[in-house]
Amino acid sequence: MSEPLIQVRDVEFRYPGHSPVLHGVDLTIDRGEFVALLGQNGAGKTTLAKHFNGLLTPTKGQVLVGGKPTSALSLTELARQVGYCYQNPDHQIFAPTVDKEVRFGPDNLGLPDAAELADRALALVGLTAQREANPFVLGRGQRQLLAVASIIAMDPPVLVVDEPTTGMDLAGAERIMRLLASWVADGRTIIVITHDMDVVAEFIPRSVVMAHGEVLADGPTEHVLRRSDLLPEARLLAPPAITVSDELSRFGVGRCGTIRDVADDLVHILGGRDAGRV
Amino acid sequence: MPVGYSVYRPTGSTIHTGIDPRVKMAWLGTMFTLALMFNGPAVLGALLVALLVTARAAKLTFGDLRPYLFLSLWLTTLSVAIWPTYVHGGHLLGHVGFVTVTSDGLLFGLAMGFRISIMIVSASLWMMITAPQLIAAGLLAMGLPHKAGVALASAIRFIPFMNAERTTIMEAQRARGADLGSGGPIRRVSNSVPALIPLFSRAFVTAQNLSIAMDARGLGASPHRTSALELRFGRRDRILVLAALAAVVIAVLCRIAGFGVLLGSYL
Amino acid sequence: MDTARRGETTTMTVPGPQAPRTRNDAEIVLAAEDLWLIYPTAEQPSLRGVTFRARAGEFIGITGPSGAGKSTLLACLQGLVPRSVTAETTGSVRVFGHDVLTGTLGADGSRIGLVLQDAEAQIVGMTVAEDLAFGPENYGVPPAEIRRRISRALAAVGLDGMAGRDTYALSGGQKQRLAIASVLMLEPDVILLDEPTSELDPVGKAEVFEVVDRLRRESATTIVMVEHELDRLAAMADRILVVDQGRIAADGTPAELLADVALFLRTGGERPPAAAELDWRLRSAGIPLDDEPSTDLVTVLARITALAEKHA
Repeated sequence: MSEPLIQVRDVEFRYPGHSPVLHGVDLTIDRGEFVALLGQNGAGKTTLAKHFNGLLTPTKGQVLVGGKPTSALSLTELARQVGYCYQNPDHQIFAPTVDKEVRFGPDNLGLPDAAELADRALALVGLTAQREANPFVLGRGQRQLLAVASIIAMDPPVLVVDEPTTGMDLAGAERIMRLLASWVADGRTIIVITHDMDVVAEFIPRSVVMAHGEVLADGPTEHVLRRSDLLPEARLLAPPAITVSDELSRFGVGRCGTIRDVADDLVHILGGRDAGRV
Repeated sequence: MPVGYSVYRPTGSTIHTGIDPRVKMAWLGTMFTLALMFNGPAVLGALLVALLVTARAAKLTFGDLRPYLFLSLWLTTLSVAIWPTYVHGGHLLGHVGFVTVTSDGLLFGLAMGFRISIMIVSASLWMMITAPQLIAAGLLAMGLPHKAGVALASAIRFIPFMNAERTTIMEAQRARGADLGSGGPIRRVSNSVPALIPLFSRAFVTAQNLSIAMDARGLGASPHRTSALELRFGRRDRILVLAALAAVVIAVLCRIAGFGVLLGSYL
Repeated sequence: MDTARRGETTTMTVPGPQAPRTRNDAEIVLAAEDLWLIYPTAEQPSLRGVTFRARAGEFIGITGPSGAGKSTLLACLQGLVPRSVTAETTGSVRVFGHDVLTGTLGADGSRIGLVLQDAEAQIVGMTVAEDLAFGPENYGVPPAEIRRRISRALAAVGLDGMAGRDTYALSGGQKQRLAIASVLMLEPDVILLDEPTSELDPVGKAEVFEVVDRLRRESATTIVMVEHELDRLAAMADRILVVDQGRIAADGTPAELLADVALFLRTGGERPPAAAELDWRLRSAGIPLDDEPSTDLVTVLARITALAEKHA
């Protein structure tokens, strides 16, 4: 299917009696994309993302999911297509066991293969061994994986993940991002709401920068994060890897997203053994 | 559900800023007492009007009071419809089904309607004219144990936060296809579990962290606790308290004398 | 890498904080000695033989992966264990000379303050002023003095004029700054901060770092800050401790520690600073960079540029 999965057409959104939170937003997301929604708190990224699964509908303009306007679809129908994982897993977790938690979504949607989907989701995040455990005894990192698993168990083609790395240490952040990247490689479409620039530069190929309810930039991450004219308006700072690779670009260093890539390029250029492996 | 801490409406009127919260609490108690002392529609009706005048003096609008006035209207209508079934006296007015409708029945129904309206309107009015932190301060000044006051004040402080958490949780579960809140009453309770459990766990964790934070800032460190908010009784406050006391005394005397009392054998 | 260093300060070879804020003979305000701690329901101890000292006026940064025991350590320093936080301990923790594991700080309780990670669950008051007053009220400070301190505390954190604001309406960064101000109201000698910026967006993070940096520059308060942003921490701290699995894996000046990129990549708690990582990776690959490893980006880039121009 060549139809874009999500289309946002000139969307305005305002709460009654307030000024618009979103205005003039246009966006298209195709199947298999891995997109970052960037901006500070209050820029409108979460408000926009909530339009993708119908939690909000635009006050002007249209949002189309799978070609149909969200205003014409029920929340359940949209939940089949767009899964939304909230930032704090404790806002979702309620069941007495991990297994029941993961089955909640597919059961609600009436999916006939709910049990298989739940098993697969647990395997994807590595929590199969904990299936009978009480979710509340799991650590914060594991609860996050459980929350993501319970959304992916509904097998939606599109996944929206809200701030997966905020409050995590480096190992936890990398683990969740690698997981999401592997799911994109498997054919899912994933949208990440975040302000963690390092993680975006390393893992996410497309970036949409938002500020004051508008889209300031939308394109390949390696281009967008170099827009030093726009990033300050969004109160964002390009990660060091970007500025370093730009500084050294005249020697042949490519547009790298991580320091490790910069080092690899330099080693290649200057001639040396492998860049340090840990 | 209030968006802020409560339905407090800061209009800046003298009633809001110029009266000690303890006096406002006494006033509320007085209104309830007066409402119970009388059961004649004329006096109770007059009290209700006085309440509305007070609301106006506090610069509150019809919009502020509307939900409470509509509730009161509804309950008064109900009251006028039901009480004639039990109360008979005065002129016979007719029969409706098996009910004998008499003038006393209608008047008593009206009085009871006014009574409950006075209670509803005065309670909501009290909340609108007293800032929540002053409610806590007032209770403390009247002898509420300090830790109970901290518990009360922090409970109120977390109302907006818990409200926001509740909204987020419901959204998150609805995004998983959860059906929160349809079906009959029993169905609804079991459907609400996915929204209630996370809310309770968030409340519990927040309370635990809060208690650690309070300990870190010295709660219970010294038996001699001070209060930055100093409540002082002014002349106006003293006059109002005396007036409230006088009103209660007069009401009791009226009750005994039978003034403003439609039916002596009923409360 | 050595574990505990006994209060020595070494000369900096790279730009860092101004001359050390504390003298070698300054009073030791915090001292943990072979501290072991286990929570009642845990299988493993959360702290294993932690020993470290902090002198008056020092700025100590603490980093390490999640669950390493950093928050637990701060809770012990604040005197919360075992009174408010139940746990079994051995060893000693001395704050201003008092052993807080077996006794209390008493009147000295107001000399040490703690700012927590969760901005919401440490705000007690409905309004900013009410929250600021909470601490001093608990210690019996006279109301007039409390009111005097309020404007000073608000100015120190950039929340001037906001005493009457409702706390629920504040942004994340504002809430954390309020938490810092509420601790400042007690005029403490030591401030402990437990990952105050980890839940904030870049704007909020910048606000809080700015406030902590100002405290460092303008006061003699001893500061202990747990933080994952190594770049910011390195710019402010006199010493950095790395905590991993309940032990102190490293304790040294920023210059010393940040050059040990392998340590950070192994513990997985933080992203090493860009300059340090680049320098280390190139050296490991045999690229001949001059002089001592540097943690300053400008220096590292200059050396690479020089080398690349020579090579071309």
